[in-house]
Amino acid sequence: MNEMLRPNLRPTDLQRRAQVFTILEEICQELELTDSQFGRAQQAYEAVAKWLAESSDPLLVTIYVYLQGSGALGTSVKPIGVDEFDIDLIAFAAAASTNISPTALKKAIGERLAEHGTYALMLEEKKRCWRLNYAGDFHLDISPTISNPNCQFGGELVPDRKLFAWHPTNPRAFKKLFDGRAALVPKLLQPKVAMQRDVASVEPFPVQQTIKGILRRTVQLLKRHRDHYYLDISEEIAPISVIITTLAMRAYEYCVKRHVFEDGLDVIVETIRMMPHFIDHIYVDGVKGYAIWNETTEGENFADRWNSEPARVEAFYDWHAKALADFEALRDLVGLDTITKNMKENFGDRVITSVMAARTNSVSQARKSNSLFVAPALGLSTASSATATPVPKNDFFGD
Amino acid sequence: MRNWGAKKDLTLAQQDMFLRISQIVKGNGTLSNGELIWRFEVQPSPLSRTYNIRLEYTRSGTPDVFVETPDLDLLVENRPLPHIYNNPVRLCLYMPSTGQWCPTKRLDQTIVPWTFIWLYYFEEWLDSNHWKGGGKHPGEEPQPPCNRRQRRALAHL
Repeated sequence: MNEMLRPNLRPTDLQRRAQVFTILEEICQELELTDSQFGRAQQAYEAVAKWLAESSDPLLVTIYVYLQGSGALGTSVKPIGVDEFDIDLIAFAAAASTNISPTALKKAIGERLAEHGTYALMLEEKKRCWRLNYAGDFHLDISPTISNPNCQFGGELVPDRKLFAWHPTNPRAFKKLFDGRAALVPKLLQPKVAMQRDVASVEPFPVQQTIKGILRRTVQLLKRHRDHYYLDISEEIAPISVIITTLAMRAYEYCVKRHVFEDGLDVIVETIRMMPHFIDHIYVDGVKGYAIWNETTEGENFADRWNSEPARVEAFYDWHAKALADFEALRDLVGLDTITKNMKENFGDRVITSVMAARTNSVSQARKSNSLFVAPALGLSTASSATATPVPKNDFFGD
Repeated sequence: MRNWGAKKDLTLAQQDMFLRISQIVKGNGTLSNGELIWRFEVQPSPLSRTYNIRLEYTRSGTPDVFVETPDLDLLVENRPLPHIYNNPVRLCLYMPSTGQWCPTKRLDQTIVPWTFIWLYYFEEWLDSNHWKGGGKHPGEEPQPPCNRRQRRALAHL
């Protein structure tokens, strides 16, 4: 096991970093689907699945509808400036023959959805899928697939972008792989972590343990960082989510199996640093190209478009360098204002204002109710202890 | 001011001793020629900077709190600092003539914790531009419990 060479961290550094990690956790909680939203989405897609399966069209009778993408992986992030979450579904026509054309299967699904009084009004045709809009909440994107007899991992085939041919994919195996990696628990330096735990439960800034695991949080933060980075760029060159997810899960597994980390923040930064190492350099028709392979099927290169649109390559490396620098800065910055500023620049004003205001509010509430203390080596705290000094009532004065 | 309330004013030596034994005051002080000067570090929260504070206190009964480093002027970037006394810049931590501070109270239990919250709200203000720590501006203070001029005259005796 390697412990990377780093300067010795003082207890105050560790406390600061634990707080930054906690704020990142709070940002993710603020940006992801809420449990009730997820519940509604689940209900909605189960109803769609039932409706499709009740069709008299033999193509659809054995259809199996399931979640894929961020909804399935637990990495959803609210898009900037839009109310609805994207929820991606696969409509797997298990019994369909590989001779069926993508257009025909998509058409059959669209026709069945249009037969439903309510769905007909919510239905929108997209290039490769059908969208059902649940206004203000989420939309369900339903992509048709058939089974891939050539895939040794039980994969499926999904229409390509032009709806012309079938293209290998394997969302169920991808989820299994991702969940397995997300369950890997990083080794953190034990004595320091224990010390951190002493102050861990202290309000008003309790240190949160991430429930969903650091990998999911890393993916969510990177996706948000990307959305924000590309907010003012109209070209469609931003790295797609599946690329971020694939590189992050491979880098996370690599790091977690080899390193001992200072803390959670260290895991995030080192994972981001390793991501580009999982981009393969290949030759396509004798020309140098790029591949980010889907490890769960054969022949799915998530970076396929990089080879026909070189701007995407540059876009990825520019964004990645910025993301790494920004997360390293977050790890090392000192000062409530500088940390808040960095986060606003990287994740958006609204979410950061909301998360940070809640923290200041808890200080102000405690002060109002005479339950604010100054604790040695910790600063403001709402926990009374033998060594803590209460903050008596005061009114600041002056101009 | 000597006989504010029932308690006796604490002497500079007593204040010095309390500051020395306080667990939240990390620093050192000197007491000479009727002046107590304490220098200590304040980090109001784990995300905050560590500020080097100088607390000056004489028998006049009014403690002055200075931020030695970092330079607040550099941090505020030309905005007017809220809740300070000018020339030289000192923190306004309590409302005068209300008894929030008086020389019978311990510096380590009043001025010091108030310095922590002032600096916490200061960093929050640096980002948000809104002072969330509340307070009053001159002209908003309540009527003092006794004649102000009289009390001031007494304080300078």
